[in-house]
Amino acid sequence: MQLFAQILVNGILLGGLYGLMALGMGLVWGVLNIVNLAHGALIMLGGYAVYYLYTKGGIDPFAALPIAMVLLFLFGYLLQRFLLNLIVRSAQLNTLLITFGLDVVFVYLAQLLFSADFRTINPPYAGSNIDVGGVTIPYAQLAAFLVAIFLAAILFLFLDRTRTGRAIRATAQNLTAARLYGVNPRRIYALTFGTGAALAGAAGGLYGVVSQITPYIGVTLTAKSFVIAILGGLDKPIGVILGGLLLGIAEAMTALYLDPTFTDIISFGLLVLVLVAKPAQILGRA
Amino acid sequence: MKNLQRAGLALLAVGLAAVPFVASDTLVQFGINALLVATLTQGWNIIGGFTGYPSFGNSVFYGLGTYGTAIAMAQLHLPFGVGLVAGGVLGVAFALLFGIPILRLRGPYFAIATLGLAAVMSAIVATIGFAGKNIGLILPLFRGDTLFYELSLVLLVAATGTVAWLARSRFGAGLVAIREDEDAAQVMGINTTMYKVGALALAAFFSSLAGGIHAYWITFIDPGSAFDPTLNVRMVIMTLFGGPGTIFGPVLGSFVLSAVSEVLASKVSTVASLFYGFVIVLAVVFMPKGLLDLFQGFRHSGFRYFAQNMRRFRL
Repeated sequence: MQLFAQILVNGILLGGLYGLMALGMGLVWGVLNIVNLAHGALIMLGGYAVYYLYTKGGIDPFAALPIAMVLLFLFGYLLQRFLLNLIVRSAQLNTLLITFGLDVVFVYLAQLLFSADFRTINPPYAGSNIDVGGVTIPYAQLAAFLVAIFLAAILFLFLDRTRTGRAIRATAQNLTAARLYGVNPRRIYALTFGTGAALAGAAGGLYGVVSQITPYIGVTLTAKSFVIAILGGLDKPIGVILGGLLLGIAEAMTALYLDPTFTDIISFGLLVLVLVAKPAQILGRA
Repeated sequence: MKNLQRAGLALLAVGLAAVPFVASDTLVQFGINALLVATLTQGWNIIGGFTGYPSFGNSVFYGLGTYGTAIAMAQLHLPFGVGLVAGGVLGVAFALLFGIPILRLRGPYFAIATLGLAAVMSAIVATIGFAGKNIGLILPLFRGDTLFYELSLVLLVAATGTVAWLARSRFGAGLVAIREDEDAAQVMGINTTMYKVGALALAAFFSSLAGGIHAYWITFIDPGSAFDPTLNVRMVIMTLFGGPGTIFGPVLGSFVLSAVSEVLASKVSTVASLFYGFVIVLAVVFMPKGLLDLFQGFRHSGFRYFAQNMRRFRL
């Protein structure tokens, strides 16, 4: 029972992070109708940004997180403004292909610049933990989880309460109408993609603290983010976080009861299950 | 004109077939790789170019062909011919089994499902004892680059012939109709499920045979190399670069890009992969219809061709 509780806690802590990953992807997808296949690569870049800020700059990973987010925001903003805006109105096949190409570029640039070695962001408090009724909770994991929830809440407030947030939601609903009300779609698209990239960057930094980063972590994270975004619904940050928790728990249980090598297989099985079992919603949007 | 074209193509095929008898070993080895990749590209063209289903998981069929052949030859000690058939059967069977649920998904849903499949397939195979777990399998050694070259060429010609048949047959027209508007195609009486599964099975057939030939040529396979997801990158880029949905575009695209990446890879292999990524990004923006369209468009409007493409979908 205690083991079960421990695994449940591990799954929840990991799941919060998954939720954060999916938030950025869901936001870009819902507003821009771009399924960003380079999302995982942006997560990876965020991980490296925090890694280098920590190892080379001596900045605590959690303090480096906002810096990485700003860097990724600028990167995403420029990417959308000067590249993706060029093709955003074409067939969805093209946006899939171009983000797939960007993914390849980012992965191999990272391999050239950062090498293919495994990297872990290892702050001095990484090993310490608290014990709650026999369940061990590592501080770093707990902090990563809380940051993920905090960022989801911020995103929700941003979209719900601010003028820019309303402009983003309006653009998602009806581009033409939003334009008539004075929204500049080029700027809003770039802002949205930048926000998605910033969220990916934060997720990457946290992922580096709780796990390992290599240039190749992106593909599976893209697929997982996608599953979660569908599970949770594109326009509901809270739903996305819940979807992340579900996947995190499922993976933790798999690692315990089956074998750790099966975790990716299980999340893929879940992916196919979700895709095939909810055809009405899925085909409705396609 | 038609006869002239046919004669030219026949001459080209004969010229390609003569390569192993005149060229150096390195060139023949490069040729085998280029022909097999061109076959994979042609396979992607059937499902991605004609049918409009962006598969990022065709590497799975290639890997299954590799493993089918390897298991038949290394574990069951069957001859190469039987192994090749086993690989093809495995690939097609998987396409049928997996295609029926997954081809119900459209656009990004289909893309992600195939992407996920390609990412986990090597992990799945690595758990199967009969397939050599994560160590892999060793096939009987056979030295004969000429034979492998000619086999690969025959396979590519067959794949291209099939695509040429698609371009003028009812079946192919149905696939194009699905690409352009699936709902309309269904209303017109096309059995879309059967057409899509048929297209995927055709793609799987050629991809898995290419994998089988490669397995016996290389004689050693393991899950990582057989189910290498970067193969998908190459298939997509080469089709896109040459001209998706055309007969010879994918072949042209894969020959050109294979040659360029061979030169780049002789320096650093990462640079070649990086180059692929840039090509795909630039191709989507500036020449979304591929090289063949570029030739025609460029003759017609010069450098404005690029500007026209760039402006067409700008926000």
